[in-house]
Amino acid sequence: MSYKSDKDLGLVLCTHCNSVFKVEEKVCNKCNSKLKQRDKYSLVKTLNFTIIAIIFLFPANILTMMEVTTLGVIEKSTILDGIVYFFETKSYLIAVVIFFASIIVPIFKLLVLLYLLYTTKYNKIYLARNATRYYRIIKFIGKWSMIDIFVVALMIVMVQFGNLSNITAGPAAIAFTVVVISTMLATESFDTRLLWDKD
Amino acid sequence: MSKNFKNLTICKDCGLVLNKPELDYSHEFHCPRCNSLIYKFGQDYLTVLLFAFSSIILFIPAVTLPLMSLEILDLTQRTTLVETLLIFFKNGYTAISILITFIGIVVPLFMLLLILIILIPLRIGKKAKYVSAPLKLYENLLEWQMGEIYMISIVVAIIKLQKMATLHIGLGFYFFFAFLVMMSFTMALFNPYDVWNDDEL
Repeated sequence: MSYKSDKDLGLVLCTHCNSVFKVEEKVCNKCNSKLKQRDKYSLVKTLNFTIIAIIFLFPANILTMMEVTTLGVIEKSTILDGIVYFFETKSYLIAVVIFFASIIVPIFKLLVLLYLLYTTKYNKIYLARNATRYYRIIKFIGKWSMIDIFVVALMIVMVQFGNLSNITAGPAAIAFTVVVISTMLATESFDTRLLWDKD
Repeated sequence: MSKNFKNLTICKDCGLVLNKPELDYSHEFHCPRCNSLIYKFGQDYLTVLLFAFSSIILFIPAVTLPLMSLEILDLTQRTTLVETLLIFFKNGYTAISILITFIGIVVPLFMLLLILIILIPLRIGKKAKYVSAPLKLYENLLEWQMGEIYMISIVVAIIKLQKMATLHIGLGFYFFFAFLVMMSFTMALFNPYDVWNDDEL
């Protein structure tokens, strides 16, 4: 069975309203969106956002995430310290959830993004089905890594006792947000149709 | 010429050219090559509108009633979600805090309002082209709303704080939970492509 893609037949799909046009047309006449068969810069964008995420992953895990001040004593903790704290206080479920959300998921996402870039760049068509499946997984789990950032932000708001007890965010919070947002942008800008195009 | 393309469609994930499936309210269609969802009907507009209205109504007590109160020694502190928005301007990490409240609370509410903006004109009998701009905005925001994550984070934060101080959960917490559940239902029931499919029927 031979498949015909839109590139072979010279057609273009309006991604907003699902109408099909000839590739020469630039604007959809049904909903006025711009028509584009493929985004030329899709791979470059994904590569750049992936590199940014990899760079920021290190400060995110090494620097302090949260500073708790109780009666003048400052206690700093990183992402990993937070997970260990939950384990020590026997909240195993939450410890596992946070461990997955803030350590496993970002690393898994970056590995998948690199794999996608590799398969597309070297035209491994036989891997396309698998790669598309991985792409859907990282698209689905992408935003769940924000949990830890949300927790820190909520704790800051909830605990405001002046000198008695106070919580502030550390630089790792910013680095980790950059990691999550840039992996999400990388996933957004990747076009899975590139996986299926053969030269 | 464009008449020929009326019964064609192209898979969004792999670019495969397919015959357009017969429009029908009960079946789903998947791409034969990459298994992506080509087309599926959601609930009818009236159900979606009712869900959207009820979640917007729940939002009001959710933000104004106290979320929880915290006691350390003799000091008590109540927190409502409106305060969460205000306190961020005093704190050092303004940019990050504003970002979080936006994707956690403001964007979900805004998306519910967008559903009203899209569906009310369609109920009255306007064409799909009329609501194309808010629909595009809705689709773009879909990836960036994090209401459900905000909810889980509140639960985690409460468990974490319970070990540091005495904590009472307020009514606002339950309302906010109800708001987020209703919101997820609304978004699951509303299928943006229905707007274009209906236009063709």
